[in-house]
Amino acid sequence: MSPRAFSSEVDPGSRKENASRQRARAPFRSNRNGKGSNRSPRVSGHALLLIAAAPVLLFLLLPSLIIVPMALSKSQMIQFPPEWISLHSFSDYLGDRQWVDSTLLSFQVTITAVLIGAVTGGGAAIALHGRSFAGKGVLVGLIMMPIVIPVVVLALGDYLLFAQLRLLGGWVPIAIAHGVLATPYVFISAQTSLTSELNPALVRSARSLGARPCSVLYHVYWPAIRPGVLAGSMLGFAVSFDEVVLALFLQGASAVTLPVRTFSAIQYELTPKIAASASLFLALALVALALQALAARKTGRLS
Amino acid sequence: MSMAEAIKTSRRALRRDGAGQVRNLVWLFLPLAALYGMFALLPLGMIVRFSMANGLENFRSVLASPLLLRAATNTLVISLTTTAVTLGLAMPVAAALWRSGPGLHRLIMAFVLLPFWTAVLIKNFAWAVLLQDNGVVNGLLQAAGLGPFTLLHNRLAVLIGMVHFVLPYAIFPIYTAMREIDPRIERAARSMGASTASVIWHVILPLIMPGIAAAALLVFIVSTGFFITPVILGAPSDMMISNLIDYYVHELTNFNNAAALALLVALLLAPVIVLQQRVARRGQYGVA
Repeated sequence: MSPRAFSSEVDPGSRKENASRQRARAPFRSNRNGKGSNRSPRVSGHALLLIAAAPVLLFLLLPSLIIVPMALSKSQMIQFPPEWISLHSFSDYLGDRQWVDSTLLSFQVTITAVLIGAVTGGGAAIALHGRSFAGKGVLVGLIMMPIVIPVVVLALGDYLLFAQLRLLGGWVPIAIAHGVLATPYVFISAQTSLTSELNPALVRSARSLGARPCSVLYHVYWPAIRPGVLAGSMLGFAVSFDEVVLALFLQGASAVTLPVRTFSAIQYELTPKIAASASLFLALALVALALQALAARKTGRLS
Repeated sequence: MSMAEAIKTSRRALRRDGAGQVRNLVWLFLPLAALYGMFALLPLGMIVRFSMANGLENFRSVLASPLLLRAATNTLVISLTTTAVTLGLAMPVAAALWRSGPGLHRLIMAFVLLPFWTAVLIKNFAWAVLLQDNGVVNGLLQAAGLGPFTLLHNRLAVLIGMVHFVLPYAIFPIYTAMREIDPRIERAARSMGASTASVIWHVILPLIMPGIAAAALLVFIVSTGFFITPVILGAPSDMMISNLIDYYVHELTNFNNAAALALLVALLLAPVIVLQQRVARRGQYGVA
Protein backbone atom coordinates (compact mmCIF):
# COMPACT_ATOMS: atom_id res chain seq x y z
CA MET A 1 0.00 0.00 0.00
CA SER A 2 1.36 3.43 -0.84
CA PRO A 3 1.87 5.68 2.18
CA ARG A 4 -0.47 8.28 0.73
CA ALA A 5 -3.36 5.87 0.93
CA PHE A 6 -3.30 6.43 4.68
CA SER A 7 -3.68 10.15 4.76
CA SER A 8 -5.90 11.22 1.93
CA GLU A 9 -7.60 8.39 0.14
CA VAL A 10 -8.84 6.17 2.91
CA ASP A 11 -10.98 8.65 4.79
CA PRO A 12 -13.53 9.85 2.25
CA GLY A 13 -13.81 6.44 0.65
CA SER A 14 -14.56 4.58 3.85
CA ARG A 15 -16.87 7.33 5.01
CA LYS A 16 -18.95 6.98 1.86
CA GLU A 17 -18.93 3.22 2.07
CA ASN A 18 -20.09 3.25 5.67
CA ALA A 19 -22.83 5.72 4.98
CA SER A 20 -24.28 3.49 2.30
CA ARG A 21 -23.95 0.41 4.48
CA GLN A 22 -25.82 2.09 7.31
CA ARG A 23 -28.51 3.33 4.96
CA ALA A 24 -29.14 -0.18 3.72
CA ARG A 25 -29.72 -1.41 7.25
CA ALA A 26 -31.71 1.48 8.49
CA PRO A 27 -35.24 0.35 7.69
CA PHE A 28 -34.88 -2.76 9.79
CA ARG A 29 -33.57 -0.97 12.81
CA SER A 30 -35.75 2.08 12.99
CA ASN A 31 -37.49 0.72 16.09
CA ARG A 32 -34.22 0.96 18.01
CA ASN A 33 -34.09 4.71 17.71
CA GLY A 34 -36.77 5.44 20.24
CA LYS A 35 -36.15 8.31 22.62
CA GLY A 36 -33.93 7.57 25.61
CA SER A 37 -32.44 4.42 24.17
CA ASN A 38 -29.55 6.48 22.84
CA ARG A 39 -28.59 7.96 26.14
CA SER A 40 -28.07 5.08 28.53
CA PRO A 41 -25.72 3.02 26.33
CA ARG A 42 -23.55 6.09 25.74
CA VAL A 43 -23.21 6.78 29.46
CA SER A 44 -22.26 3.19 30.23
CA GLY A 45 -19.92 3.25 27.24
CA HIS A 46 -18.17 6.25 28.76
CA ALA A 47 -17.92 4.47 32.10
CA LEU A 48 -16.44 1.43 30.37
CA LEU A 49 -13.89 3.66 28.66
CA LEU A 50 -12.87 5.20 31.98
CA ILE A 51 -12.58 1.74 33.55
CA ALA A 52 -10.32 0.66 30.68
CA ALA A 53 -8.24 3.86 30.86
CA ALA A 54 -7.86 4.00 34.66
CA PRO A 55 -5.18 1.27 35.04
CA VAL A 56 -3.15 2.85 32.21
CA LEU A 57 -3.38 6.26 33.88
CA LEU A 58 -2.28 4.75 37.20
CA PHE A 59 0.64 3.10 35.39
CA LEU A 60 1.58 6.50 33.93
CA LEU A 61 1.49 8.27 37.29
CA LEU A 62 3.04 5.58 39.52
CA PRO A 63 6.76 6.48 39.09
CA SER A 64 6.13 10.17 39.76
CA LEU A 65 4.34 9.29 42.99
CA ILE A 66 7.29 7.57 44.67
CA ILE A 67 10.04 10.08 43.85
CA VAL A 68 9.41 12.66 46.58
CA PRO A 69 8.79 10.13 49.40
CA MET A 70 12.01 8.41 48.34
CA ALA A 71 13.96 11.64 48.64
CA LEU A 72 12.55 12.14 52.15
CA SER A 73 13.80 8.75 53.27
CA LYS A 74 16.14 8.72 56.28
CA SER A 75 18.12 5.62 55.44
CA GLN A 76 21.32 5.72 53.43
CA MET A 77 19.97 3.17 50.98
CA ILE A 78 17.35 4.12 48.47
CA GLN A 79 14.11 2.48 49.31
CA PHE A 80 10.39 2.86 49.20
CA PRO A 81 8.40 3.18 51.41
CA PRO A 82 10.87 5.34 53.36
CA GLU A 83 11.63 4.41 56.96
CA TRP A 84 11.58 7.87 58.36
CA ILE A 85 11.11 11.37 57.05
CA SER A 86 14.35 13.27 56.73
CA LEU A 87 15.89 15.95 54.61
CA HIS A 88 19.38 14.51 54.67
CA SER A 89 19.33 13.48 51.00
CA PHE A 90 18.77 17.14 50.12
CA SER A 91 21.49 18.38 52.49
CA ASP A 92 23.81 15.69 51.08
CA TYR A 93 23.04 16.91 47.59
CA LEU A 94 23.51 20.58 48.40
CA GLY A 95 26.67 19.85 50.39
CA ASP A 96 28.37 18.09 47.48
CA ARG A 97 30.31 20.58 45.36
CA GLN A 98 30.24 18.28 42.31
CA TRP A 99 26.47 17.86 42.30
CA VAL A 100 25.85 21.57 42.79
CA ASP A 101 28.31 22.41 39.98
CA SER A 102 26.61 19.92 37.68
CA THR A 103 23.21 21.43 38.45
CA LEU A 104 24.41 24.95 37.66
CA LEU A 105 26.16 23.71 34.53
CA SER A 106 22.96 22.03 33.37
CA PHE A 107 21.05 25.30 33.67
CA GLN A 108 23.81 27.13 31.78
CA VAL A 109 23.83 24.53 28.97
CA THR A 110 20.04 24.40 28.74
CA ILE A 111 19.46 28.16 28.66
CA THR A 112 22.09 28.55 25.92
CA ALA A 113 20.57 25.68 23.95
CA VAL A 114 17.06 27.15 24.22
CA LEU A 115 18.29 30.55 23.02
CA ILE A 116 19.97 28.88 20.02
CA GLY A 117 16.80 26.89 19.29
CA ALA A 118 14.50 29.92 19.64
CA VAL A 119 16.52 32.07 17.21
CA THR A 120 17.07 29.36 14.58
CA GLY A 121 13.68 27.62 14.86
CA GLY A 122 11.65 30.83 15.12
CA GLY A 123 13.59 32.49 12.29
CA ALA A 124 13.14 29.51 9.99
CA ALA A 125 9.40 29.40 10.73
CA ILE A 126 9.06 33.07 9.70
CA ALA A 127 11.24 32.58 6.60
CA LEU A 128 9.06 29.69 5.42
CA HIS A 129 5.73 31.27 6.39
CA GLY A 130 3.33 31.72 3.48
CA ARG A 131 5.76 30.23 1.00
CA SER A 132 4.97 27.17 -1.01
CA PHE A 133 7.59 25.64 -3.23
CA ALA A 134 8.60 22.24 -4.49
CA GLY A 135 10.50 20.40 -1.80
CA LYS A 136 9.12 22.34 1.15
CA GLY A 137 7.95 19.07 2.70
CA VAL A 138 11.42 17.62 2.33
CA LEU A 139 12.96 20.75 3.86
CA VAL A 140 10.63 20.58 6.87
CA GLY A 141 11.49 16.88 7.18
CA LEU A 142 15.19 17.79 7.24
CA ILE A 143 14.57 20.42 9.92
CA MET A 144 12.86 17.77 12.06
CA MET A 145 15.69 15.29 11.50
CA PRO A 146 17.63 15.83 14.76
CA ILE A 147 14.72 14.58 16.86
CA VAL A 148 13.85 11.54 14.77
CA ILE A 149 17.25 9.98 14.10
CA PRO A 150 18.62 7.99 17.05
CA VAL A 151 20.34 10.50 19.30
CA VAL A 152 23.40 8.25 19.62
CA VAL A 153 24.13 8.77 15.90
CA LEU A 154 24.17 12.54 16.41
CA ALA A 155 26.20 12.10 19.60
CA LEU A 156 28.87 10.07 17.82
CA GLY A 157 29.02 12.55 14.92
CA ASP A 158 29.33 15.52 17.29
CA TYR A 159 31.97 13.70 19.30
CA LEU A 160 34.07 13.02 16.19
CA LEU A 161 33.61 16.62 14.98
CA PHE A 162 34.43 18.36 18.27
CA ALA A 163 37.38 16.04 18.83
CA GLN A 164 38.70 17.05 15.41
CA LEU A 165 38.19 20.73 16.29
CA ARG A 166 39.89 20.13 19.69
CA LEU A 167 36.90 21.65 21.48
CA LEU A 168 35.94 18.68 23.63
CA GLY A 169 35.89 19.06 27.39
CA GLY A 170 33.98 22.29 27.88
CA TRP A 171 30.28 23.01 28.16
CA VAL A 172 29.96 24.81 24.80
CA PRO A 173 29.82 21.66 22.60
CA ILE A 174 27.05 20.25 24.80
CA ALA A 175 25.08 23.51 24.56
CA ILE A 176 25.45 23.59 20.76
CA ALA A 177 24.44 19.94 20.39
CA HIS A 178 21.42 20.57 22.60
CA GLY A 179 20.63 23.68 20.55
CA VAL A 180 20.37 21.47 17.46
CA LEU A 181 18.00 19.22 19.42
CA ALA A 182 15.85 22.15 20.63
CA THR A 183 15.53 23.78 17.18
CA PRO A 184 12.95 21.36 15.67
CA TYR A 185 10.65 21.74 18.68
CA VAL A 186 10.67 25.56 18.44
CA PHE A 187 10.34 25.43 14.65
CA ILE A 188 7.34 23.10 14.60
CA SER A 189 5.36 24.93 17.28
CA ALA A 190 6.27 28.34 15.87
CA GLN A 191 5.11 27.15 12.47
CA THR A 192 1.86 25.83 13.93
CA SER A 193 1.17 29.10 15.70
CA LEU A 194 2.00 31.19 12.60
CA THR A 195 -0.25 29.06 10.40
CA SER A 196 -3.20 29.42 12.74
CA GLU A 197 -2.69 33.06 13.80
CA LEU A 198 -1.34 34.89 10.78
CA ASN A 199 -2.75 35.12 7.29
CA PRO A 200 0.11 35.81 4.83
CA ALA A 201 -2.16 38.43 3.23
CA LEU A 202 -1.84 40.43 6.44
CA VAL A 203 1.91 40.61 5.96
CA ARG A 204 1.41 41.74 2.37
CA SER A 205 -1.01 44.44 3.39
CA ALA A 206 1.31 45.68 6.13
CA ARG A 207 4.07 45.88 3.52
CA SER A 208 1.91 47.60 0.93
CA LEU A 209 0.90 50.16 3.55
CA GLY A 210 4.56 51.01 3.89
CA ALA A 211 5.75 49.06 6.93
CA ARG A 212 9.49 48.38 7.00
CA PRO A 213 10.71 44.77 7.40
CA CYS A 214 11.72 45.46 10.99
CA SER A 215 8.36 46.80 11.98
CA VAL A 216 6.62 43.96 10.12
CA LEU A 217 8.70 41.56 12.17
CA TYR A 218 7.90 43.31 15.43
CA HIS A 219 4.26 44.29 14.93
CA VAL A 220 2.97 41.52 12.66
CA TYR A 221 5.08 38.40 13.11
CA TRP A 222 6.08 38.64 16.76
CA PRO A 223 2.55 38.68 18.30
CA ALA A 224 1.57 35.75 16.10
CA ILE A 225 4.67 33.67 16.68
CA ARG A 226 5.21 34.36 20.39
CA PRO A 227 3.00 31.58 21.82
CA GLY A 228 4.60 29.04 19.51
CA VAL A 229 8.14 30.12 20.31
CA LEU A 230 7.38 30.03 24.05
CA ALA A 231 5.78 26.57 23.88
CA GLY A 232 8.61 25.26 21.72
CA SER A 233 11.24 26.77 24.00
CA MET A 234 9.62 25.06 26.96
CA LEU A 235 9.80 21.71 25.17
CA GLY A 236 13.37 22.48 24.18
CA PHE A 237 14.20 23.32 27.80
CA ALA A 238 12.80 20.01 29.01
CA VAL A 239 14.57 18.03 26.28
CA SER A 240 17.93 19.69 26.89
CA PHE A 241 17.75 19.63 30.67
CA ASP A 242 16.88 15.91 30.68
CA GLU A 243 19.25 14.84 27.91
CA VAL A 244 21.83 12.18 28.75
CA VAL A 245 23.33 10.68 25.57
CA LEU A 246 24.77 13.80 23.87
CA ALA A 247 25.99 15.11 27.22
CA LEU A 248 27.58 11.73 27.99
CA PHE A 249 29.50 11.63 24.71
CA LEU A 250 30.60 15.28 24.90
CA GLN A 251 31.35 15.45 28.64
CA GLY A 252 34.65 16.66 30.03
CA ALA A 253 36.23 16.78 33.48
CA SER A 254 34.61 20.16 34.15
CA ALA A 255 31.54 19.57 31.98
CA VAL A 256 29.37 16.90 33.57
CA THR A 257 25.68 17.80 33.40
CA LEU A 258 23.27 16.84 36.16
CA PRO A 259 21.63 14.03 34.11
CA VAL A 260 25.05 12.52 33.30
CA ARG A 261 26.08 12.65 36.97
CA THR A 262 22.75 11.14 38.00
CA PHE A 263 23.06 8.43 35.34
CA SER A 264 26.54 7.42 36.53
CA ALA A 265 25.36 7.44 40.13
CA ILE A 266 22.41 5.18 39.29
CA GLN A 267 24.79 2.74 37.60
CA TYR A 268 27.59 2.70 40.13
CA GLU A 269 26.83 4.08 43.59
CA LEU A 270 23.07 4.48 44.25
CA THR A 271 23.23 7.36 46.75
CA PRO A 272 20.24 9.24 48.18
CA LYS A 273 21.51 12.26 46.22
CA ILE A 274 19.90 10.63 43.20
CA ALA A 275 16.49 10.89 44.83
CA ALA A 276 17.16 14.53 45.69
CA SER A 277 18.10 15.34 42.09
CA ALA A 278 15.09 13.32 40.92
CA SER A 279 12.91 15.62 43.01
CA LEU A 280 14.42 18.61 41.21
CA PHE A 281 13.57 17.03 37.84
CA LEU A 282 10.05 16.28 39.04
CA ALA A 283 9.63 19.86 40.29
CA LEU A 284 10.65 21.14 36.85
CA ALA A 285 8.13 18.80 35.23
CA LEU A 286 5.41 20.19 37.52
CA VAL A 287 6.39 23.76 36.62
CA ALA A 288 6.18 22.86 32.92
CA LEU A 289 2.77 21.27 33.46
CA ALA A 290 1.51 24.35 35.31
CA LEU A 291 2.83 26.72 32.62
CA GLN A 292 1.16 24.61 29.95
CA ALA A 293 -2.14 24.64 31.83
CA LEU A 294 -1.84 28.42 32.19
CA ALA A 295 -1.19 28.85 28.47
CA ALA A 296 -4.10 26.53 27.73
CA ARG A 297 -6.41 28.61 29.87
CA LYS A 298 -5.33 31.70 27.95
CA THR A 299 -5.92 30.19 24.52
CA GLY A 300 -8.83 28.07 25.69
CA ARG A 301 -7.44 24.70 24.75
CA LEU A 302 -5.03 22.09 26.10
CA SER A 303 -2.07 20.82 24.09
CA MET B 1 -6.99 51.82 -18.61
CA SER B 2 -9.97 49.55 -18.29
CA MET B 3 -11.17 48.28 -14.96
CA ALA B 4 -10.01 44.75 -15.72
CA GLU B 5 -6.56 45.98 -16.59
CA ALA B 6 -6.36 48.05 -13.43
CA ILE B 7 -7.27 45.05 -11.33
CA LYS B 8 -4.72 42.96 -13.12
CA THR B 9 -1.97 45.53 -12.58
CA SER B 10 -2.73 45.97 -8.92
CA ARG B 11 -2.84 42.20 -8.44
CA ARG B 12 0.54 41.93 -10.08
CA ALA B 13 1.85 44.70 -7.88
CA LEU B 14 0.51 42.95 -4.80
CA ARG B 15 2.08 39.68 -5.84
CA ARG B 16 5.40 41.37 -6.51
CA ASP B 17 5.13 43.00 -3.16
CA GLY B 18 4.44 39.68 -1.50
CA ALA B 19 7.40 38.11 -3.22
CA GLY B 20 9.55 41.06 -2.16
CA GLN B 21 8.39 40.59 1.39
CA VAL B 22 9.30 36.93 1.27
CA ARG B 23 12.70 37.71 -0.18
CA ASN B 24 13.30 40.28 2.55
CA LEU B 25 12.78 37.79 5.34
CA VAL B 26 14.49 34.80 3.79
CA TRP B 27 17.67 35.72 5.65
CA LEU B 28 15.91 34.56 8.81
CA PHE B 29 16.54 31.03 7.57
CA LEU B 30 20.30 31.56 7.71
CA PRO B 31 20.86 30.87 11.44
CA LEU B 32 19.19 27.47 11.08
CA ALA B 33 21.09 26.71 7.90
CA ALA B 34 24.39 27.61 9.57
CA LEU B 35 23.62 25.63 12.74
CA TYR B 36 22.50 22.53 10.86
CA GLY B 37 25.28 22.76 8.31
CA MET B 38 27.96 22.86 10.97
CA PHE B 39 26.49 20.74 13.73
CA ALA B 40 24.13 18.28 12.04
CA LEU B 41 25.38 17.69 8.49
CA LEU B 42 29.08 18.00 9.28
CA PRO B 43 28.82 15.44 12.14
CA LEU B 44 27.06 13.06 9.74
CA GLY B 45 29.86 13.70 7.27
CA MET B 46 32.37 12.80 10.00
CA ILE B 47 30.52 9.53 10.55
CA VAL B 48 30.67 8.72 6.85
CA ARG B 49 34.37 9.62 6.73
CA PHE B 50 35.31 7.53 9.77
CA SER B 51 33.23 4.56 8.60
CA MET B 52 34.93 4.53 5.21
CA ALA B 53 38.44 5.15 6.53
CA ASN B 54 39.50 1.58 5.71
CA GLY B 55 37.34 1.05 2.67
CA LEU B 56 34.51 -1.30 3.57
CA GLU B 57 36.57 -3.21 6.11
CA ASN B 58 34.80 -1.63 9.13
CA PHE B 59 31.37 -2.54 7.79
CA ARG B 60 32.56 -6.11 7.29
CA SER B 61 33.95 -6.27 10.80
CA VAL B 62 30.78 -4.81 12.37
CA LEU B 63 28.48 -7.10 10.40
CA ALA B 64 30.52 -10.18 11.31
CA SER B 65 30.35 -9.43 15.04
CA PRO B 66 28.07 -11.73 17.07
CA LEU B 67 27.31 -8.70 19.25
CA LEU B 68 25.59 -7.03 16.31
CA LEU B 69 23.23 -9.95 15.77
CA ARG B 70 22.28 -9.86 19.44
CA ALA B 71 21.81 -6.06 19.59
CA ALA B 72 19.91 -5.93 16.30
CA THR B 73 17.56 -8.75 17.30
CA ASN B 74 17.02 -7.18 20.72
CA THR B 75 16.28 -3.79 19.15
CA LEU B 76 13.79 -5.20 16.66
CA VAL B 77 11.97 -7.47 19.14
CA ILE B 78 11.87 -4.89 21.94
CA SER B 79 10.74 -2.07 19.61
CA LEU B 80 8.00 -4.12 17.95
CA THR B 81 6.71 -5.39 21.31
CA THR B 82 6.79 -1.87 22.75
CA THR B 83 4.86 -0.54 19.74
CA ALA B 84 2.15 -3.20 19.95
CA VAL B 85 1.66 -2.91 23.73
CA THR B 86 1.75 0.89 23.61
CA LEU B 87 -0.93 1.12 20.91
CA GLY B 88 -3.18 -1.21 22.91
CA LEU B 89 -2.79 0.90 26.06
CA ALA B 90 -2.99 4.27 24.28
CA MET B 91 -6.36 3.62 22.60
CA PRO B 92 -8.57 3.62 25.73
CA VAL B 93 -6.76 6.69 27.13
CA ALA B 94 -7.11 8.62 23.86
CA ALA B 95 -10.78 7.64 23.66
CA ALA B 96 -11.37 8.64 27.29
CA LEU B 97 -9.74 12.03 26.59
CA TRP B 98 -11.95 12.46 23.56
CA ARG B 99 -15.22 11.47 25.22
CA SER B 100 -14.83 13.20 28.58
CA GLY B 101 -16.21 16.56 29.63
CA PRO B 102 -13.82 19.48 30.32
CA GLY B 103 -13.11 18.65 33.99
CA LEU B 104 -12.32 14.98 33.49
CA HIS B 105 -10.48 15.81 30.27
CA ARG B 106 -8.12 18.12 32.13
CA LEU B 107 -7.50 15.51 34.82
CA ILE B 108 -6.65 12.76 32.30
CA MET B 109 -4.48 15.20 30.36
CA ALA B 110 -2.52 15.96 33.54
CA PHE B 111 -1.97 12.22 34.11
CA VAL B 112 -0.53 11.93 30.60
CA LEU B 113 1.47 15.17 30.61
CA LEU B 114 3.22 14.78 33.97
CA PRO B 115 5.25 11.75 32.85
CA PHE B 116 5.69 13.42 29.45
CA TRP B 117 7.50 16.34 31.12
CA THR B 118 9.48 14.14 33.54
CA ALA B 119 13.06 13.20 32.60
CA VAL B 120 13.41 9.68 31.17
CA LEU B 121 16.29 9.09 33.57
CA ILE B 122 14.08 9.77 36.56
CA LYS B 123 11.20 7.66 35.28
CA ASN B 124 13.58 4.72 34.72
CA PHE B 125 15.14 5.22 38.15
CA ALA B 126 11.70 5.22 39.79
CA TRP B 127 10.84 1.98 37.96
CA ALA B 128 14.09 0.42 39.18
CA VAL B 129 13.12 1.25 42.76
CA LEU B 130 9.55 0.03 42.23
CA LEU B 131 10.62 -3.24 40.61
CA GLN B 132 13.58 -4.17 42.84
CA ASP B 133 13.44 -7.40 44.87
CA ASN B 134 12.12 -5.68 48.03
CA GLY B 135 10.30 -2.96 46.10
CA VAL B 136 6.68 -1.86 46.08
CA VAL B 137 5.53 -4.15 43.30
CA ASN B 138 6.96 -7.24 44.96
CA GLY B 139 5.49 -6.09 48.28
CA LEU B 140 2.03 -5.91 46.72
CA LEU B 141 2.48 -9.29 45.03
CA GLN B 142 3.57 -10.85 48.32
CA ALA B 143 0.58 -9.36 50.10
CA ALA B 144 -1.51 -11.19 47.51
CA GLY B 145 0.40 -14.39 48.30
CA LEU B 146 2.60 -14.35 45.19
CA GLY B 147 6.30 -13.99 44.52
CA PRO B 148 8.72 -12.53 45.25
CA PHE B 149 9.77 -12.36 41.62
CA THR B 150 12.91 -11.02 40.02
CA LEU B 151 11.40 -8.07 38.17
CA LEU B 152 14.48 -5.90 37.66
CA HIS B 153 17.36 -6.27 35.19
CA ASN B 154 15.44 -8.32 32.67
CA ARG B 155 13.53 -7.88 29.42
CA LEU B 156 10.20 -7.27 31.16
CA ALA B 157 11.61 -4.30 33.10
CA VAL B 158 12.99 -2.80 29.87
CA LEU B 159 9.58 -3.15 28.22
CA ILE B 160 7.80 -1.57 31.21
CA GLY B 161 10.19 1.39 31.21
CA MET B 162 9.94 1.88 27.44
CA VAL B 163 6.16 1.56 27.18
CA HIS B 164 5.86 4.03 30.03
CA PHE B 165 8.10 6.50 28.19
CA VAL B 166 6.47 6.27 24.74
CA LEU B 167 2.79 6.14 25.82
CA PRO B 168 2.22 9.91 25.51
CA TYR B 169 3.81 9.81 22.02
CA ALA B 170 1.07 7.36 21.00
CA ILE B 171 -1.81 8.97 22.90
CA PHE B 172 -1.46 12.44 21.33
CA PRO B 173 -1.63 11.54 17.60
CA ILE B 174 -4.52 9.10 18.18
CA TYR B 175 -6.42 11.62 20.31
CA THR B 176 -5.83 14.34 17.69
CA ALA B 177 -7.25 12.07 14.98
CA MET B 178 -10.30 11.31 17.14
CA ARG B 179 -10.92 14.98 17.89
CA GLU B 180 -10.98 15.79 14.19
CA ILE B 181 -13.87 13.41 13.50
CA ASP B 182 -16.98 15.32 12.52
CA PRO B 183 -19.55 14.37 15.21
CA ARG B 184 -22.29 14.49 12.56
CA ILE B 185 -20.86 11.39 10.90
CA GLU B 186 -21.30 9.37 14.06
CA ARG B 187 -24.74 10.83 14.70
CA ALA B 188 -25.76 9.92 11.17
CA ALA B 189 -24.54 6.36 11.61
CA ARG B 190 -26.43 6.01 14.90
CA SER B 191 -29.62 7.53 13.56
CA MET B 192 -29.54 4.90 10.85
CA GLY B 193 -29.42 2.21 13.47
CA ALA B 194 -25.76 1.31 13.76
CA SER B 195 -24.81 -0.32 17.07
CA THR B 196 -21.96 1.06 19.17
CA ALA B 197 -19.67 -1.77 18.04
CA SER B 198 -20.46 -1.13 14.42
CA VAL B 199 -19.94 2.63 14.83
CA ILE B 200 -16.51 1.98 16.35
CA TRP B 201 -15.54 -0.62 13.75
CA HIS B 202 -17.00 0.89 10.57
CA VAL B 203 -16.93 4.64 11.29
CA ILE B 204 -14.42 5.65 13.96
CA LEU B 205 -11.63 3.15 13.33
CA PRO B 206 -11.24 3.94 9.61
CA LEU B 207 -11.25 7.66 10.38
CA ILE B 208 -8.51 7.47 13.03
CA MET B 209 -6.39 4.98 11.07
CA PRO B 210 -3.94 7.71 9.89
CA GLY B 211 -3.47 8.78 13.53
CA ILE B 212 -2.87 5.18 14.62
CA ALA B 213 -0.38 4.63 11.80
CA ALA B 214 1.46 7.85 12.68
CA ALA B 215 1.53 6.86 16.35
CA ALA B 216 2.81 3.35 15.58
CA LEU B 217 5.61 4.59 13.34
CA LEU B 218 6.63 7.33 15.79
CA VAL B 219 6.69 4.90 18.72
CA PHE B 220 8.72 2.40 16.69
CA ILE B 221 11.26 5.06 15.64
CA VAL B 222 11.62 6.40 19.19
CA SER B 223 11.92 2.84 20.56
CA THR B 224 14.78 1.86 18.26
CA GLY B 225 16.87 4.76 19.63
CA PHE B 226 16.64 3.83 23.32
CA PHE B 227 19.90 4.02 25.22
CA ILE B 228 19.36 4.65 28.92
CA THR B 229 16.50 2.28 29.66
CA PRO B 230 18.31 -0.97 28.70
CA VAL B 231 21.25 0.11 30.90
CA ILE B 232 19.18 0.97 33.99
CA LEU B 233 16.39 -1.60 33.79
CA GLY B 234 17.82 -4.39 31.62
CA ALA B 235 20.42 -7.12 31.90
CA PRO B 236 23.66 -6.81 29.89
CA SER B 237 22.12 -9.26 27.40
CA ASP B 238 19.31 -6.75 26.71
CA MET B 239 21.83 -4.44 24.99
CA MET B 240 20.22 -2.47 22.15
CA ILE B 241 21.83 -1.02 19.04
CA SER B 242 22.56 2.40 20.64
CA ASN B 243 24.36 0.64 23.50
CA LEU B 244 26.48 -1.26 21.00
CA ILE B 245 27.57 2.00 19.35
CA ASP B 246 28.43 3.33 22.82
CA TYR B 247 30.33 0.10 23.55
CA TYR B 248 32.45 0.54 20.41
CA VAL B 249 33.23 4.14 21.42
CA HIS B 250 33.78 3.94 25.17
CA GLU B 251 34.91 0.34 25.76
CA LEU B 252 36.75 -0.59 22.57
CA THR B 253 37.58 3.00 21.45
CA ASN B 254 37.07 1.77 17.89
CA PHE B 255 35.62 4.89 16.30
CA ASN B 256 35.66 3.47 12.77
CA ASN B 257 33.47 0.52 13.71
CA ALA B 258 31.22 2.78 15.76
CA ALA B 259 30.81 5.10 12.77
CA ALA B 260 30.12 2.18 10.40
CA LEU B 261 27.42 0.86 12.74
CA ALA B 262 25.88 4.33 13.21
CA LEU B 263 25.75 4.79 9.43
CA LEU B 264 24.04 1.41 8.97
CA VAL B 265 21.46 2.29 11.64
CA ALA B 266 20.76 5.68 10.08
CA LEU B 267 20.37 4.18 6.59
CA LEU B 268 18.08 1.37 7.79
CA LEU B 269 15.89 3.76 9.76
CA ALA B 270 15.70 6.46 7.06
CA PRO B 271 12.82 4.85 5.09
CA VAL B 272 10.77 4.39 8.27
CA ILE B 273 11.34 8.04 9.18
CA VAL B 274 10.30 9.18 5.69
CA LEU B 275 7.16 7.03 5.90
CA GLN B 276 6.33 8.44 9.34
CA GLN B 277 6.64 12.04 8.14
CA ARG B 278 4.35 11.30 5.19
CA VAL B 279 1.70 9.61 7.30
CA ALA B 280 1.75 12.05 10.20
CA ARG B 281 -0.13 15.27 10.05
CA ARG B 282 -0.91 17.40 13.06
CA GLY B 283 0.20 16.27 16.51
CA GLN B 284 2.92 14.14 15.04
CA TYR B 285 5.72 15.34 17.29
CA GLY B 286 4.09 14.89 20.66
CA VAL B 287 2.26 17.93 21.97
CA ALA B 288 3.63 20.52 19.58
